[in-house]
Amino acid sequence: MAQHTQTPVPQQPQRLQRSGRVAAPPRPAKAAPRKRPSLIRRFFYGLVRRIYFGGKTLFRIALLVPILVFMVWVSYTVDRSGLFQGALAPRRIVDLMLQGYDVTNFESMDEREVVQLFAQDVPETPQVIGIGSSRILQFNRELVGVDSFFNMGVTGADVRDNMTSYYKMVTYDKAPDVLIWSVDPWVFYGSEAAYDYRADAELYNEFLTKVLGVPTDYEEPDKVELWKALVEPAYFQGNVDYYVKNRGQDVVTDDDGNTIEFNPVTGDPYDQATTIKRSDGSVLYDTAFRNQTQEQILALAAAASQTFNSVHMEGFDEMSQTQIQAFEAFIDYAHSQGTTVILVLSPWHPFLYNYLLNETDMHKGFFQVENWVRQYCAENNVPLYGSYDPECIEGIEEMDFFDGLHCKDTGIKKFFPGVPAVLEAIETNTLPDPLAVTPRTSLPTAEDSTETGTQDGDMADAETADTAA
Amino acid sequence: MTITSLLYLGFFAVVALLHYALPRVARPYFLLAANYAFYCYDPSNRPLALVLAGATLLTWVCGLVIGKSRSKVLRVVFLLLSIGGGVGILLYYKYWNLLADAIGGITGGTVPHLDLITPLGLSYFTFAALSYSIDVFKKRCRVEPNLLHYAMFVSFFPTMITGPIERYPHLRPQIKKPRRFSYTRCAGGAFRILWGYTKKMVIADNLSVYTSFVFTNPASMNGPNLLAASILFAIQLYMDFSGCCDIALGVARILGYDLIENFNSPFESTSFSEFWTRWHVSMTSWFRDYIYFPLGGSRCCLPRRLMNVVIVFVVSGLWHGADWRYLMWGLACGVLSAFGRLTFGARKVLWRYNPLYRAVWCKNLIQRALVFLMFVATLVFFASALYNADPYGVYAGIFQGWQGGLSASWDSVRTLLHDSGIDGRLPVVLTCASLIVFAAESNGRSVARWIRNQSFVLRWTLYYAAAAALLFFGAFGQSAFIYQQF
Repeated sequence: MAQHTQTPVPQQPQRLQRSGRVAAPPRPAKAAPRKRPSLIRRFFYGLVRRIYFGGKTLFRIALLVPILVFMVWVSYTVDRSGLFQGALAPRRIVDLMLQGYDVTNFESMDEREVVQLFAQDVPETPQVIGIGSSRILQFNRELVGVDSFFNMGVTGADVRDNMTSYYKMVTYDKAPDVLIWSVDPWVFYGSEAAYDYRADAELYNEFLTKVLGVPTDYEEPDKVELWKALVEPAYFQGNVDYYVKNRGQDVVTDDDGNTIEFNPVTGDPYDQATTIKRSDGSVLYDTAFRNQTQEQILALAAAASQTFNSVHMEGFDEMSQTQIQAFEAFIDYAHSQGTTVILVLSPWHPFLYNYLLNETDMHKGFFQVENWVRQYCAENNVPLYGSYDPECIEGIEEMDFFDGLHCKDTGIKKFFPGVPAVLEAIETNTLPDPLAVTPRTSLPTAEDSTETGTQDGDMADAETADTAA
Repeated sequence: MTITSLLYLGFFAVVALLHYALPRVARPYFLLAANYAFYCYDPSNRPLALVLAGATLLTWVCGLVIGKSRSKVLRVVFLLLSIGGGVGILLYYKYWNLLADAIGGITGGTVPHLDLITPLGLSYFTFAALSYSIDVFKKRCRVEPNLLHYAMFVSFFPTMITGPIERYPHLRPQIKKPRRFSYTRCAGGAFRILWGYTKKMVIADNLSVYTSFVFTNPASMNGPNLLAASILFAIQLYMDFSGCCDIALGVARILGYDLIENFNSPFESTSFSEFWTRWHVSMTSWFRDYIYFPLGGSRCCLPRRLMNVVIVFVVSGLWHGADWRYLMWGLACGVLSAFGRLTFGARKVLWRYNPLYRAVWCKNLIQRALVFLMFVATLVFFASALYNADPYGVYAGIFQGWQGGLSASWDSVRTLLHDSGIDGRLPVVLTCASLIVFAAESNGRSVARWIRNQSFVLRWTLYYAAAAALLFFGAFGQSAFIYQQF
């Protein structure tokens, strides 16, 4: 039988005392006031703290430096405005030349800028450089006889161009071993007329002031503003845009988006329709100009004879003492840089020179130059080759000229033996005597003609006798 | 010295370095000197530093009397003197020519115009100084016995360009007890500065190329471009103003001071009234505390309440400049805000019957879009004042030139964007950057704090990304900050 039990009535919950009746814990004893560290201790603590956090902060800031470096690198390398590396077009020309290419479009080149950039960018100092006007631009590696040659001549060069071209090399610590200077007569003319507007007058003033000690109005340029462009974000952005636009393009554009038309010469350089700049700095005229007939050349010489003085010699009556001093100082300066100076007097076309002899009063200064240079070279043992007077150069003829002013390589070969031969002559002390040549400075009188005729006759007789012997 | 210049960064770096090199007790005084050096850097500002010093001295003396005196009359007199001085300076330098025209119109005479140079940060430091006097009067702020501490508050250089408008009770404890150097704070501050520069120079300045192009020739623009420019101007204004505030807050943070946050994701507002609690917070709260509440605030009948709202917005519009277009902008904002309050109950009832509002996200999206468009609509007045355009011409022009449909309109906008200089990769960059900014700042998130919680690698990747964006796409040498002129 099942036993029924009642469900127990729930009892009231009993409160459990979980903790015994214990006395309240004693209040903690009042902590003794902390002693404030001494002033010195606090000072050193502050110092250490500052050094620690300063170092930490600097380290984190240094992590951002690569951004700045990248920015500067891009701005300097691309340099779309040519602030640091020169304008884009000349830079392209120099880049091509340094890669060994001849470059097209010589007529459009800023030759002075090319020279400047070459001096800046050429990795190895050329052994020989040439300076002068367009009358030296035919000097090339073959004629000079040295592979390491660069022709720094520029069209219309005045004395400032001559000197600053060399000075640029020196400022970049690239002074050459040998300097060939084709001395033009206007180098000794002290008038403004002797100056070319394209020459870098500021650099010349710097050269005069800093090197030759001649006082000028030269002021040291503020380069801070220029270098600020390196950290200028806007310039950085412009350079990035320019780089992206021109990367991998055949046609390069300048800062204004104009096409830069300087490209490597393709095909035979001697068969070009336009004048080209050779990789050694010399100039190769276009085929038509090089292959003119004698009549054409004579016509050009005749035209040049009419405008002779307009080439930097308007009113050239006397050699300037200032220019003479500058010339001498320059030669001394080049010697002090360890450079051997070879002076060259490039001849004028026979027709032109003869024409000038008919009006010597109009070219007094011009006719003084060569004799003075010869005297100077003789006194200072400076090698001198060539002569303004074509009659003084054996074998030179009218076909050895392009026009009235410019002598062809065939003509140059007739008076310039090449740098190795010159250096050897210096070593062996067998340099030709500059005073052995006497250029004509006036037309021969009747007596002179008779004497000359007699002498010529005597020499002819002697030669005949030698041949017979 | 513009904030976007390297000079400013250099100045700030030197100040920060010397600031932390000094003992803490000397730091407020050094900062005061730095503030005045900053102020006097521009030669045209040098004589006007006296105005700043004068306003500081006047409000400090008045505050001292108000705080110490037990005579209510004296307290009121000095409060009025302080307000009169502050508002007088503001009226004289900013509104003289407008007042002269008004007086001339009333009297029929000619009151000469003055060719005055407005002191740098005039609206900001006068409002900061006025708030101190009123707070002392209302006993919301203790009187400041140290003139130099107070002067440091009024002239604090990070806030001098575009605010925020600080309150002394907020800054006082920070001045009294300068913080110790904290690397974390400084790193956060530095990122805030970078963030601000990115917003300003990458987004705002690039957008301004297009908007200024459109608003300076509104008559020759078609509807699609006017509409696009109005919309983009709203984004530009936000990026410009909030970017500058980010820089100011970042600079102050590095120096050990926390300033008032001026923006709180305003484009996420779901009502026009809410928008104004998130946009230019320091100014709207200033107007709320010192104009809206004294007018009766919300504790009065509905018509008066709405009128109070409109008055506050009209004054706010005038604060931006002595130009009827700013006045109209304030009025438009006030009317829209009042209308929103007036119709809030009815709209709430209608929401129940709107099927689109059943999904919260959809409701939020629609409301946010509507608030944004309302803001854009009012900004036409603002932009017109800024670029000296005819706002009614712009409004009328927006509805014209849609003949070719949406496709042709889009082509027209795209062409003009391209012509104005926003070409190449820039449109994509601007779109992505804007989206990133809005996403990063969503829900009032502090970007500076968020980035401090990331790993070293991610953090520095982001630093580099921001710096790269700034470097590659920043518009350098562009205009000053829009709010700088106010």
